[in-house]
This record gives sequence, structure tokens and C-alpha cells, in this order.
Amino acid sequence: MVLKLIGACMTLGACGSMGLVWAGVHEKRPRQLTALEGALQLLETEITYGATPLPEAMEQVAGRCDPQAAGLFMMTAREFAKMGGVTAAEAWERALGRFFPATALDETDLNILIRFGASLGISDRQDQAKHLKLAMNQLKAAAGRAEAEARKNSNIFKYLGFLGGMLLVLILY
Amino acid sequence: MTAGITDTKQCKKNVDTMVCLMSRDILPVLPNRIREMVTELPGDILDQVEEIRLRQGKPLLVGLNDRDVIVTPLGQMTTVPEFGYTVTDKDLMRALQLISSSSVYAFEEEIRNGFITVRGGHRVGISGKVIVDKGRVRTFKYITGLNIRVAREITGVADRVVSYLLNAETGDVYHTLIISPPRCGKTTLLRDIIRQLSCGIPKLGFGGCTVGVVDERSEIAGCYYGVPQKDVGIRTDVLDGCPKAEGMMMLIRSMGPALIAADEIGKPEDATAVEEALNAGIKLLTTAHGKDREEIAQRPVLKYIIEQGIFERLIILGRSRGVGTVEDIIDCKNSGSLIYNNRTGRAVTDRENINE
Repeated sequence: MVLKLIGACMTLGACGSMGLVWAGVHEKRPRQLTALEGALQLLETEITYGATPLPEAMEQVAGRCDPQAAGLFMMTAREFAKMGGVTAAEAWERALGRFFPATALDETDLNILIRFGASLGISDRQDQAKHLKLAMNQLKAAAGRAEAEARKNSNIFKYLGFLGGMLLVLILY
Repeated sequence: MTAGITDTKQCKKNVDTMVCLMSRDILPVLPNRIREMVTELPGDILDQVEEIRLRQGKPLLVGLNDRDVIVTPLGQMTTVPEFGYTVTDKDLMRALQLISSSSVYAFEEEIRNGFITVRGGHRVGISGKVIVDKGRVRTFKYITGLNIRVAREITGVADRVVSYLLNAETGDVYHTLIISPPRCGKTTLLRDIIRQLSCGIPKLGFGGCTVGVVDERSEIAGCYYGVPQKDVGIRTDVLDGCPKAEGMMMLIRSMGPALIAADEIGKPEDATAVEEALNAGIKLLTTAHGKDREEIAQRPVLKYIIEQGIFERLIILGRSRGVGTVEDIIDCKNSGSLIYNNRTGRAVTDRENINE
């Protein structure tokens, strides 16, 4: 009897925390998107006001932006440092390839970043500013949507976890 | 490669530096495919490379001292254009990104002037479709041609000249104007004079003076991120890419130069700056395009400056004994007498032959 009760508690706890983790993942995405947007804002300052060359600008941004986005810029700067004749777009894409799997971002977010990377460093300041603005707006919109989704979904996942756990307990009891 | 070099040891040294120059400065700015082709070229050709030309849809050309060769996709030389590697728009795009370390926006001003200086002071010329904004070049829309020019530094070309530029009694430098037709080694000579005056010339008992260089076209010091890539001496301050007149004023105000050097004066505002420099007791070292004194005197600003009797020494360059021959040195203060003449007797050594 006691054993059963302990088992039931454990099942409930496991399912409940699984729900919490799922909800957490959904809450992470909007925060990461906002972090990226902020980092691009820094990059914009570096490019339009400082006219800092990209390898240096990337390092600057990595050092100053939200830690959740810093990895991407750090990796891009490192790709540049290898200097096997890589262009900015290639360095960015390679860095994204390693950065993306560790994040809560989805395919649409990845596409925004890849499209932005294609225009990185190939034109004058005005044009760069336009591309940066576009990417920032897209990230902002994505973050807004992700936020709404997260608010809705995180609660669902939390309840789903607990309720699922309870259901399991009832069935097994 | 140098007309005057006879010593094989010196040749050897030059070849060595040339190969390391190519692999350190030039190859990294070439797109991978083209880099491989250029690397495949025979060593003695690589040593002579003066420029690498990428033109969209045209064969890859490598310019040597006196001719150019077409390069095939396998890195062989040919004279048949059809066998050459055809440069694509992608190659140009990549090259431009590598040249600018993927930061085209950081080189707006340079691109507007038609060239970018890369590490080592080599210049890359740009051509293509230009966008004009309010009568000024704003940027390039399509870049369809790049000319990577290998800059070689030759020190020692001014060895024979500097003694004529120093006042033996006071130890001052004379106000000097170098007159030369294009491509006669004017800037090379100017740079070496700057270097020697800045470092000092122990042989002549000259201790070196503070030199301010206004390098409007980044040719004298070949700055990369503001750092001179050519040896311009230890007491030299460089304003890179700065308009001459403005730059001269800036130097006078703050850097306390004893000598100001600038390439190719000739704009009306230059005259004012020159006068300002003179009033501050600063010596002047500059150059002008032209064949001789008479031709220079026809240009309004230069005529004015010469009539003021500012310049004490005129150095006239020509090609009579190869590029960079010092033809005449004229003492303007002494009723314009020749103090050095290439044609009449005064011995000319190899040193006067500056590399092309």
C-alpha cells in the first residue's frame, strides 16, 4: 500500500516535471529571439556608426550582448579568424549550424537568420542598416508570436503533465 | 626585376621577399579557385607578378614587368584567351569580400575613391557600374573588375639624392619639389626620401627630423587600418586618406613636424596650406606631374608657388636610363643652376634607377 502510494507520487512527479520542462522550452524561444534582436541592434551600431570591420564587430557584439545570443557571434568571429577564404555569409552560416541545435529556435527563426546572413557585409552602410532593420523586425515579430504561443502553450503543457500523470496513476492503481 | 640590380645576392634576397609577399598579402585576398591557379604558376613568373586582373567574363590575367600572361584553369600560362580561366561574377564577389574582410561598408570612402588598400600596402583598383548621388560617386552597384597591384618597396633609391637636399651649413632640409611624368618612380623616391630624413642619415651627420605625411591616396605609406605598411621612418606621422590642404593644417596644429610631405599638390587650397606651413617654419617636400620646369610653370597653382620662390630644390625624374632616372637637380635659390645633371658627366650609378 505504502509502496503503491510512493509509486503514484513518483509517477505524478515525473509527468508533472516533464510538463514543466516542455513549458520551459516554449518560454525559452521568445527570450532567445529577443536576445538575438538586441544583439543585432548592437551589430547595427557597430556597422553604421563605427564602420567596424565584421570580424571585430562580431567579437564586440559577442562581448556585450545577452549571453543567450553571444554564442552565435562568438562562433562567427572564430570562423573568420580561421581565414580559409570564407565570406561573411559562410562564416555566419557555419556558426548558425552549430548554434542552432542548442537553442529553442524553430525553422522559421533559422530562416530569418540565414537570409540575413546572406547580405552580411556585402554592401555599404545604408544598405546594411536596411538589412539589419529587416532582420530585427522579423525577429521581433517572431518573438511576439512566440510569446503569445508560449503563454498559451506553457500552461497547457503544465496541466497536461500533471493531468497525464494523474491519469496514469488512476489507470495503474 | 630591378633595372639596376646586378648583385645576384641582392636578387636572391628580393626573390625571397617576393614569394613571402605573395603568400602573406596577395594570396589570402584571392578566391580559392583563383588562388590555386596563381599558386600553380612557375616560381620565376610569380616573382615578376606586378598585378592580377579579374574582369567579369574575361580570362584571368597576370601582369608582369613588361607583358601579361593569361592563366588557364590548371594554372598554366597561355596566350590564347579561349584557354584562359574565365572570371565569374561570383569570383569577383568573393574577392571583394576577402579584400574587405567581408566588410564592404567599412571601405565606403575607399571604394568611392576607386581602390582599397590591403595588408602590406598593396592596392586593389575597382571598376564597374557607379552610382552617383548629388554629383558625387556614392558607391558601386556592380563591381566587374578588380586589379590587384603588388606594391614593392625599394629602399635606398634616394641615397644619391638626399645629400643635395640638406643644407650643409645649417643642417636644414631644403624645400623640395619632385617633378616627374607618371610611372617614373616619383612616389617611390618621395617615400625613400621621407624614410631617410625621418630615420636620420649618419653618413651625412643628419640626425633625423619629425616628418608629417599627408597621404591622400594612401600611396606613400600604404596604410592598412591606419598603420603604415611601407617603411616611412621612425619619426613619421601619417594622415591616411586625408585631403592635402586640410591634412597639412592638421599636422601644423598638432603634430609639430619639421617637414611636411605630400604627393601631388596642385589644387587652389593647397597654396594656402603651403603658405601656412611656411609661416610656421616647416619645410616642404612634395611632387608634381610634369616633364620639366616649364611644363609645371603652366599650371596656375604650381606657377604661383614657384613664383613665390618657395622651393629651393627641384628634382626632375625621367626614363632616360630606365624608370626612375634622376635627370636633374636644380638649385632654385642660386639663379636656378643645375647642381646635378644626368646627361653631362656627373656619374650615374645604378642607384638612380628606381624600380618600375
